[in-house]
Amino acid sequence: MFHIDYKKIRMIKENIFLIVVGALTLLATLPLFHIVFSIVSKGLSTVMESGLPFITETFSNGGIGPAIVGTLILTITATAIGVPLAFLAGAYAYEFPNSFIGKSTKILLQIMLEFPTILVGTFIAGIVVFPMGSYSLLAGALALAMILMPYVAVYTEEAMAEIPKIYKEGGYALGCTRAQVIFKVITKMAKKGILTGLLIGIAKVSGETAPLLYTAGGLYESYPNSLFEPVGSLPLLIYSLVQSPSPEDHKMAWGAALVMVIIFLGIFIPIRYSLKKDIKI
Amino acid sequence: MKRILAIILGLCLIIPMVSLSGCTDTGTTQTTGGETQTTGGNTQTTGGNTQTTSGTTQKVIQLRTTGASFPKNQIKTWIAKYQKINPNVKIEYQGGGSGQGQKDFLKGLTHIGRSDTPVKEKMWNDLKGTGDQPLQFPEIVGAVVITYNIPEIGNHNLKLSRDVLAGIFIGNIEYWDDERIKSLNPDVANKLPHKKITVVHRSDSSGTTAIFTTFLSMISKEWEEKVGSGKLVEWPTDKMERGVGGKGNPGVINTLKNTKYSIAYTELSYTIEEKLPTAAIENRNGKYVIPKDDTIKKAVSGVKSNIPDPKEGYKEDTKQLLDAPSDNAYPIVAFTHFLVWENINNKHYSTEEAKAIKDFLFWVLTDGQKPENLAPGYVGLPQDVANIGLKAAKSIKE
Amino acid sequence: MDFKKILRKLDEFKIITMPTIFVVFLLFAAVLVFYFTSAYPAIEKYGIDLFTTNVWKATEDATKEVYGLAAPIWGSIYTSVIAVILAIPIAIGYAIYVNDYAPEKLKYPLIIISDIMAGLPTVIYGIWGAFILVPFLRDNIMMFLYENFSYIPFFSTPPITGYGYLSAGVLLAIMVIPFASAIIREAYAMVPKVHKEGLYALGTTRYEATKVIVSYIKPAILSGFILAFGRALGETVAVSLVIGNSFNISYSLFSPGYTISSLIANQFGNAELYAYMVPTMYAGGLVLFVVGLIVNLIGLYYLRRWRSNVSH
Repeated sequence: MFHIDYKKIRMIKENIFLIVVGALTLLATLPLFHIVFSIVSKGLSTVMESGLPFITETFSNGGIGPAIVGTLILTITATAIGVPLAFLAGAYAYEFPNSFIGKSTKILLQIMLEFPTILVGTFIAGIVVFPMGSYSLLAGALALAMILMPYVAVYTEEAMAEIPKIYKEGGYALGCTRAQVIFKVITKMAKKGILTGLLIGIAKVSGETAPLLYTAGGLYESYPNSLFEPVGSLPLLIYSLVQSPSPEDHKMAWGAALVMVIIFLGIFIPIRYSLKKDIKI
Repeated sequence: MKRILAIILGLCLIIPMVSLSGCTDTGTTQTTGGETQTTGGNTQTTGGNTQTTSGTTQKVIQLRTTGASFPKNQIKTWIAKYQKINPNVKIEYQGGGSGQGQKDFLKGLTHIGRSDTPVKEKMWNDLKGTGDQPLQFPEIVGAVVITYNIPEIGNHNLKLSRDVLAGIFIGNIEYWDDERIKSLNPDVANKLPHKKITVVHRSDSSGTTAIFTTFLSMISKEWEEKVGSGKLVEWPTDKMERGVGGKGNPGVINTLKNTKYSIAYTELSYTIEEKLPTAAIENRNGKYVIPKDDTIKKAVSGVKSNIPDPKEGYKEDTKQLLDAPSDNAYPIVAFTHFLVWENINNKHYSTEEAKAIKDFLFWVLTDGQKPENLAPGYVGLPQDVANIGLKAAKSIKE
Repeated sequence: MDFKKILRKLDEFKIITMPTIFVVFLLFAAVLVFYFTSAYPAIEKYGIDLFTTNVWKATEDATKEVYGLAAPIWGSIYTSVIAVILAIPIAIGYAIYVNDYAPEKLKYPLIIISDIMAGLPTVIYGIWGAFILVPFLRDNIMMFLYENFSYIPFFSTPPITGYGYLSAGVLLAIMVIPFASAIIREAYAMVPKVHKEGLYALGTTRYEATKVIVSYIKPAILSGFILAFGRALGETVAVSLVIGNSFNISYSLFSPGYTISSLIANQFGNAELYAYMVPTMYAGGLVLFVVGLIVNLIGLYYLRRWRSNVSH
């Protein structure tokens, strides 16, 4: 008798646990669905109303073209600045995991990964914007590059570390130098992981607002054409529109948010699907 | 793998495409691609007055104005209308508050700074320290109004005496159904709810705050001693958990609209645009006056405004339009100002920029002051005050 | 050590990478030095009061300026604590479900959803939080708690605006849950299969097996939440839209407050106008930096130690 009851209790516990865990999962994922749903339902009408001009026109003509272009240019410039640095730093951390410099490089990179992004912005504002006397694309891109760099570096290091040692040994056995082994053999084999890190980093910085607050300046009435002049960006525009009281601005904000989510998901989902590995952000 | 490469390739393609579409829209170049835009722009110099050039292959001049959000709706109207006449001048509006307006102007981060209250002497010396001469002059007149969100009374205009106004913002009057408020407003006395008053104020350094706190200091000894006036003050209600901050006038209105039983101070145009109620404030003559065009005009015409030379902007007194001694004058009225550089030796502006700025300022101070170019909630400058601005604009060196 | 030896040590690889490593170190040092030197004038002027008092008197007369960062410091820590407390059960449940219970078909989409949420631009959380989450929390949850439980100090302030510690905490929790659960999931996957098989062989139910495994990965869970706390501390944009921006120190969940990062987002633009506000801002940044550094170092240290324990 007792034995059967005990088993039953265990099964009930099991089922309750399953329900609880399932419910928590639902609770964790629900916000994403609601966010996407509200952005689509509120943003779509704005975008449909103005049609194509919404993504090509300037702000006073009811479009967010300069902001989109600004975001793309900022992201590309930041990538161009940050990635070479990141790749080499990651390769170093991979090659010397036990030396003092190698170890501390890795720790530094991981700390920088968790750096509050607003602090990067105020740092760049202090050393670039104020001395230069102008908000600029360059300052914004530098701030973004500082955020991008540790991402790519850490991913590079991790991707390289996953390549079996035997390939490295093989390379040395063929008489390759260290540079050849790492840049030709290991890099090629870890290509996929490195690219993933790169793209995730890009997706991340393209949505950053805080580091641009006091560096990029904002430009929504004309298209950016100089590295040393202010530039606008989508997240920055959304942030300022959200703080406005007028319903028109809110409509623009939702429309811009929709464009932004589409860009983000457009980059993110294909990458994520193209590799069936568990990655962490 | 290939997919990833394809995405990168795709990204690289999108950018020139989007920037291309941008070029065609602004009409700067023909559809020959992103490359030609920059080269074309650099080789061509602007020929003559910006006003005569329109829509041809002319370099676009970007100007930037940053600061006070008090005149936001007016500036946005001006920019929209001006850009229609001069498509080659693009003016970027940025908020940020009077504090940021002054700071960005000092650092050369903006072409035209905006500050509601006149620049203080110390800041003025800092500005002069750059080796250029700053010029300050009024651009428009606006009113600071008291607005509130009480669903029970909707858009009814509450009457607030000077004591009650100060009492609410200092925190002495805690509930909407306080006897002191009720007795002033017998018609809605029964509807006023027993709810705590939340004070919504600015979280950034603001000229609107400076005007309002200056007025409060004029009408209340207690306020003057406990809080004082300035672009940033310590709101007594914050420490009673009845204060919330919003960034810029827009942020304040946003918060007010989302917050039942709150009260806030802001510029008249915001309450007009958002269809919010405004309070009738007791003026110097003991009359309760609602802020609107003619009551503001009364305040302006009631006093002989004393605007110093643009080169000595710090000498201006914020208080001059406040608490005007006329029966129908709304008491919280103020000039809001532009800051530009005289541009000695092209220190801050290039020749083209200086030309464009001058042209814009001329337009603002002449055509811009006409009723058809004014946004609701603002009142044009008296002619003698506008002339001071024109004199300043004229002195900008190209 | 002769010259040749040094030269041999410096092969091509090192020549190429060393400058970059130098740049990374330099950058890190530059940030530290920059924040210290920029913050110094304020620290020198106000001493420890800068961090322990709650005042914000800004005037253009430098002798009358007084600042104290207690309210933003408190707000940053309090909102992050709320976020982590809310995130703990959900993140653990999420990780367990994905690893143990989710049907194969659901497993992968769930992981992707979590990754998307971790990477979603914060301003998107901000716009959703300010326009949708805050009114919802205020009208449905805060009102209920206030009306029924206002005798509990946490719920004692009427939720008038909805902007405040709780709103910021909830929004932050939503943002850090995917991050924390990814760490837990990873740790979960690192548990050797033998353990699990052994447990099942003993005839345990899945619930009982999970309980054992969770206790086994406890250190990883702990470090996951420490790292999540660090991440919540630095979040700026989304928080500044829902925190209320008021210099106020309170336990009450519904009161408006400030965080260091939202203070910087709000006032850095005009700080230059006042003699000591910029140093004060940088001092706030320094606090954020140091607290974040300590928290992250602890988190990373525990995670690393646990990982090496498992793999040996």
